[in-house]
Amino acid sequence: MRFTPTAAGATGLAAILALSACAGATTSTGERVDGGTIVYAHQQEPFCVFGGWIEQAYLSYQVLDNLTSLDENHEVVPWLATEWSTSEDGLTWTFTLKDGVEFTDGSPLTAEVVAYNFDYWVSGGNSTALVWLQDYYASAEAIDELTVQINLSAPYPRLADNLTQGYFGIQSQVALETRTDEENCAAPIGSGAFIVDHWDRGEEIVLVRNDEYTSWPANAEHTGPAYVEEIVWRFVPDATTRVAALQSGEVDAIYDVPAVQWQTLDDAGYQLEKYVTPGRPQQLAFNTQVGPFTDVLVRQAFAYSLDRRAAVEAIGQGVIPYEGNGGVSQTTPGYSQAAADWYDYDPEKANALLDEAGWTERDADGFRTKDGERLHVVLPYGAGSIINADGAAILQGVKEQASQVGFDVELIPVPLSELVAGAYSQPAERDINVGYWTAVTAGILYINWRPSTEEAPNYSNGAFYNDEVLAQLIRDANSAADIDEQNALYIEAQDYIAERALSIGLYDRLSTLAVDTSLKGVWQEHAQGGPTFYDAYLTE
Amino acid sequence: MTTVRSTPEASTLGRRLRRLPWTLVAALVFLGILAVAVIAPQALATHDPFALDYPASLRAPSAAHWFGTDESGRDLYSRVIWGARESVLIGLGAAAVGLAGAILLGSLAALGPRPVRATVDRFVEILFAFPALLLALLLVAIAGPSALTQIFAVGLGTAPGYARMVRGQILTAKDSGYVRAAVALGHSRSRIVRSHILPNALRPLVAIFALSVGQSIVWASSLSFLGLGVAPPASEWGALLDAGRSYIVQAGWLVVIPGLVIVALALTATTIGRHVQAGLERGEKS
Repeated sequence: MRFTPTAAGATGLAAILALSACAGATTSTGERVDGGTIVYAHQQEPFCVFGGWIEQAYLSYQVLDNLTSLDENHEVVPWLATEWSTSEDGLTWTFTLKDGVEFTDGSPLTAEVVAYNFDYWVSGGNSTALVWLQDYYASAEAIDELTVQINLSAPYPRLADNLTQGYFGIQSQVALETRTDEENCAAPIGSGAFIVDHWDRGEEIVLVRNDEYTSWPANAEHTGPAYVEEIVWRFVPDATTRVAALQSGEVDAIYDVPAVQWQTLDDAGYQLEKYVTPGRPQQLAFNTQVGPFTDVLVRQAFAYSLDRRAAVEAIGQGVIPYEGNGGVSQTTPGYSQAAADWYDYDPEKANALLDEAGWTERDADGFRTKDGERLHVVLPYGAGSIINADGAAILQGVKEQASQVGFDVELIPVPLSELVAGAYSQPAERDINVGYWTAVTAGILYINWRPSTEEAPNYSNGAFYNDEVLAQLIRDANSAADIDEQNALYIEAQDYIAERALSIGLYDRLSTLAVDTSLKGVWQEHAQGGPTFYDAYLTE
Repeated sequence: MTTVRSTPEASTLGRRLRRLPWTLVAALVFLGILAVAVIAPQALATHDPFALDYPASLRAPSAAHWFGTDESGRDLYSRVIWGARESVLIGLGAAAVGLAGAILLGSLAALGPRPVRATVDRFVEILFAFPALLLALLLVAIAGPSALTQIFAVGLGTAPGYARMVRGQILTAKDSGYVRAAVALGHSRSRIVRSHILPNALRPLVAIFALSVGQSIVWASSLSFLGLGVAPPASEWGALLDAGRSYIVQAGWLVVIPGLVIVALALTATTIGRHVQAGLERGEKS
């Protein structure tokens, strides 16, 4: 038999296809193995373990404990705090702490330490904790050894909900005071189920079990220290590589499963977890200070020009949910369906609105013009960080659909390093801001829509929209004691945003996991959907 | 019955064509198709390269979509055809920038005053110390990703190697008998450089240019593949390869076809370059 290069290629290809078809989850008897190492492949590497970015919250959730936790019914349950109460005027919160808790440096958890952490966050220790607290937090004081009082400047009935997010992890005061910022950045000292052992930058962080762990949250599935001895938290930015690593058995679990791989992994028997994060969805906020979107007609025309649902459903393969609401996602309490349904795909209406706005001429490329100027809009996006590959494909659909009514949309993929350095953050630099912000309540609206002033700039106001009416509406909602009244006010705020087309939704942000069947007990925490390995164990 | 006989000229041309190696014929055919794709892509494309057709997403190659469709239902064949212009222009531009830089640096290193020669030599050595792709990445990091940056980034990466070659060619020409004869005849220095040294030293660069086009296209595609080239949804071939990566298991054609086209273009440029080189060498011998 002659063995030609073509035959060799065909044989090789057949072998690869056969191997791919056979790749599947490990078969397991389900018997728990004591100890062991979980290798977990995550998408993005943060700068520090603790900080104001969700990627940091995911990590610090393994290492630090919070005062409160959120259970699967979105009820706030005890963690480091055993109970809490608010004063009648809503301005004073009192938390009672769990007794006998020690940080991994041996220092005890006390009310004074918790008060110190609150002050640390608002003085810049955590940028996201700061923006949640800054207009409400007044002071924190230790009433006794295990009772801490938080004083607010305005009522905030959902404070305990917000404290479940990873940005509010409690650190050792001794560590914060005596160690360098670099040390606390790389390996913060908490009382959590795991301790940072070492960090090989660009590769992985290794977490080891805290054998003295006593402070599990009330919604945990077991008590005592974690089952596994070690977690290798590996950074694998490319989604295809992460999936291949899972299929080859190189890793036990992966984060951010590409939509196109979902069914394949499901068919192969992997445990798939999907959490639609509450808070701001992936949305488009229009620049209301500079450029064509200062005209509400142009903003509305853009919204009508898009068949967002078709784009999301095609690219998302039934995994990524469409979201029409630009304010909050559908899993957020106080969600407005009316805001989500405000702009259906209607190119004729879009054309009419653009004509009315004076963009009546077309240039040689078919784009609309006004006074000789092309209807050109700049849409930068954090490629591979804020927007993953699925999101980038959806944005390409946005560009093409908007071009049909005459918008010239310039998509600019921006590396994370540039975003962090402040690229495209000024009104003159962009026309559309795309991005999400996870939260557990619709209080996120205040972060995203609080007017920006010279004294208190708001870099999270993506539309550069300074409107005291909207801000007051959200402030009223934030302080409303009655939950129904609060939700009604949040809904009113979302409708206000939708009516003026300040922001429109695209799709809901997901936290997804794929887990090999040999690994059990992994669940997604309910504040932000990050993986929780405290209850996880390996099986034979 | 009338017998049609071929003219002597036609039969000579036919004989010549038959004598050409099949690789060169294939390269010339591909080059012809490519030229049409660059000049008039609409003549070859079957669909609008940007038109969305979500219900038809990720369709395998078929009569309706020769190269299949991508995740947004866009016709891959039409995207490849429309992407030819950007890919080829980036390749040609980068080769031109690389060669222009090489001629400048090589000429200064060979013909400049001693301090200039020394400075240029050290500068080229510094450039050599960095891997070419790293130099390209550095420029992209400074200037931001775009087609123009890609052209200069790849050009900068290739320039040092060719600069050494130009310098060597000029030094060889400088020591040749015809230059010594020109000096003996009393020709001015500038005339000798212009009329004797440069034409003879730079002739081999015609072949090198053709070769470097292929290399430049592969490098430019590498930058696009890393997300450092033209912005999506442009259908430059490296960008197509990058976009298809996410679907490699479900829709392998999105990676295989752009990859094959890049390889075909690189092989075409190399084959033609080598043929030109061989022709020049034959000319020198005869």
